[in-house]
Amino acid sequence: MGHAIVITSGKGGVGKTTTTANLGAALAQLGHTVVLVDADIGLRNLDVVMGLENRIVYHVVDAIRGRCALQKALIKDRRLENLWLLPASQTDDKDAVTPDDMRSLVFELKAQYDYVLIDCPAGIEQGFKNAIAGADEALVVATPEVSSIRDADRVVGLLAAADVPARLIVNRISPQLVKRGDMLSKDDVIEILALELVGAVPLDDQVIATTNKGVPAVLEGKSPAARELVRIAKVLAGHEVADRAQVGFFTRIGRALGLSATPA
Amino acid sequence: MWQEFKSWFSGKPSREVAKGRLHLVLAHDRTGLDGGRLQEMRTEIAAVIARYVPIDADAVEIHIETRNRATQLTVSSAISPRAT
Repeated sequence: MGHAIVITSGKGGVGKTTTTANLGAALAQLGHTVVLVDADIGLRNLDVVMGLENRIVYHVVDAIRGRCALQKALIKDRRLENLWLLPASQTDDKDAVTPDDMRSLVFELKAQYDYVLIDCPAGIEQGFKNAIAGADEALVVATPEVSSIRDADRVVGLLAAADVPARLIVNRISPQLVKRGDMLSKDDVIEILALELVGAVPLDDQVIATTNKGVPAVLEGKSPAARELVRIAKVLAGHEVADRAQVGFFTRIGRALGLSATPA
Repeated sequence: MWQEFKSWFSGKPSREVAKGRLHLVLAHDRTGLDGGRLQEMRTEIAAVIARYVPIDADAVEIHIETRNRATQLTVSSAISPRAT
């Protein structure tokens, strides 16, 4: 049985879709079978970020309504052998789907793929409830800004109420601004939201450039953001432990020597 | 160096300001208490304290803050010395 992860944030424009596309591509590169589900019904975007917009015939609402077989609605990525996209519908609205519909859809996908990554719409209304319905886990994406963190906090509360465990991705962090004292650090965000961090993705021009071309950054070279996204994918897949930088150098040595009671 | 120099003159770095604002905003969001309701509560609490000990009602302070997803409400008040 596969694992379903919803990528959510509350606030729009913080990089949910780009994060979903890149983590999906990175997990596929690691050899896992992955399906990306665009749950933003009415405002689909994961297709253009993935560069698959010209290949859509059927979409998620067609599959749920039984207007086509689920397999027919899945678009296979030509760059990676084991990556698929289930696009959102652009003409329906969010009420076209219920949480129960999503739960059974995700369940069916989990039976066939290692990872089901669900790109959640912005907001905390129906679309959000649908997107989290079938998820085993949530990744909350927040940029180091007051508005993004405030909205992320609402989402963390709602996820806890829905019994969906959540972890944090800090996105678009600028080490220079943090150093200058003009940006919240990843540790500030961790402290405020009280969530476990899976990774902090640096602000990186390369992501904008590759997204323009419809290519996930992880498929094009090793820019700083791409490297961190690949590392996050490894953490999700259990190949690597969560952010090592969080743990102090001497603590790590202590752990390596077996001096510390807490596991690494 | 110059940055430190600058922040020395312009007050707190904006990162600290953002943190402070977030702690306050999240405390309000998580409790569903806005500034107005909080002041209303302050006035009522001040009235209750005043029934037991002499206080200056205007000097009662109410403060709400969250750390690690736990929200703490603090009310503090100076007690006036007895008149006798």
